[in-house]
Amino acid sequence: MPSPLVEFSRIGKVYGPTVALHDVNFSLYPGEFIALVGMSGGGKSTILRLMAQLEQPTSGAITYAQPGLVTRVMFQNDRLLPWMTTLQNVSFNSHDKAQQAKAEQALAAVGLRDFANTFPNQLSGGQKQRLALARAMMAEPQLLLLDEPLGALDALTRRNMQQFISDFCAKAHLTTLLITHDVDEAARMADRVLVVKSGTNVYEAAGAKGQNAEAVARVAAEVLDVILAPTTAVS
Amino acid sequence: MDHATTLTTPPVTRPKFSWRRALPWLIPGFLIVLWQVAASAGWVDTQLIPSPLAVLQDGVTLWQSGELPKNISISLFRATTGFVLGGSVGFVLGMLNGLSKTARALLDTSIQMLRNIPHLSLIPLVIILLGIGETAKISLVTIGVMFPIYINTYHGITSIDPELLEMGRAYGLSKRALLTKIIFPGALPTILVGVRYALGVMWTTLIVAETISSNSGIGYMATNAQEFMNMDTVLLCIVIYALLGKLSDLIAKALENLCLAWQQERSAS
Repeated sequence: MPSPLVEFSRIGKVYGPTVALHDVNFSLYPGEFIALVGMSGGGKSTILRLMAQLEQPTSGAITYAQPGLVTRVMFQNDRLLPWMTTLQNVSFNSHDKAQQAKAEQALAAVGLRDFANTFPNQLSGGQKQRLALARAMMAEPQLLLLDEPLGALDALTRRNMQQFISDFCAKAHLTTLLITHDVDEAARMADRVLVVKSGTNVYEAAGAKGQNAEAVARVAAEVLDVILAPTTAVS
Repeated sequence: MDHATTLTTPPVTRPKFSWRRALPWLIPGFLIVLWQVAASAGWVDTQLIPSPLAVLQDGVTLWQSGELPKNISISLFRATTGFVLGGSVGFVLGMLNGLSKTARALLDTSIQMLRNIPHLSLIPLVIILLGIGETAKISLVTIGVMFPIYINTYHGITSIDPELLEMGRAYGLSKRALLTKIIFPGALPTILVGVRYALGVMWTTLIVAETISSNSGIGYMATNAQEFMNMDTVLLCIVIYALLGKLSDLIAKALENLCLAWQQERSAS
């Protein structure tokens, strides 16, 4: 087993009187796509925010494989800058020729080459998320963190985007952490599915990448004490 | 096949009269015609309300004598100087208080107290302190313009979506880049609302100041004409105010179109 890219050991996070995370341990290995599932308010997003160094843990230690690991987050809502065109959003309106060329490539990679001079408010929901992905890829991150980026999309676009992001990350050999409350989505996209139970424990669910969605769903349901409807796990 | 032929016939292009473009001028045009008719038919006393033609003639005479261009340019000079000074101070203070909590704690209470003093009530004080020279009038315009720009700049900056700022930081933007790429463009629509409002305040303040204490400018022209019961000139001045107001509004709109193209795109789509 290679050494982990990021390792959480005995991580705790407290917001005032609220304990968001308590004694969380898990590792993320280079090149893998893991999904973290759990209910809303269960601490999934806190884990992501800690990993992105947007916040610091109250206790425990996060070990990165190397200092200055380049991490990029794709947020729940696209967080595009409405006053910049698609291309400018990717390059942050850089006047550097090399950056611009790179941004054009990034746009082409997500299939938005023809929309370079369009403003985000003229794009569809799926296109906006693809643009956000292109922007995240500009820094050539070693770790991509997806914070329920597909939550606001309609069912059909969502299915397309799941496939698109999976393929994209696999092609780029990108280490990816996906946060989602959708067990089905986790099973379809990830190599490994972890279930977070109310901020305290992380359980590993068996089977992934659409091969055994039902098994994943069963583990998740057991961990979370949820009664599954028979149709939930159909992939 | 008749239908097909009809469909493929290219539409005849002729310069067409656009009602939509003429519409804004319909009411002013109608009022002027009504005014002229009322004067010509003797419905109103032309000693008190002279006809539009008489006002226009007066305008031409004053223009040729050089009095009108002189007064318009001195008023424009005062207005723009005051606007630039007050706008700059308001903008800088707004940026400062919007960005720094310390500056806000130090300055905001004082600014809010000053803001609530009607600036025109300062006229007696300003006349005594500064006389009726240029400084007095420019100072009044400066004070009047400063607050709308301050409030809107401050409000624009403090209401930037914190999620965008977090994204910027997470994506490694420097403080300077955050300011120029996220904070300022995000605040710009609100700042421009302030500019538009401040342009209105600018004219009102200047006219009042010129009416009360001056020996030049359009406001002075109107007061002077009133003393000689020269109603043509009084009405001419009022029409000039209306036109200058419209001009400021056009400038503000042009500025918005220039800076906020991304919003135009949204309304078009």
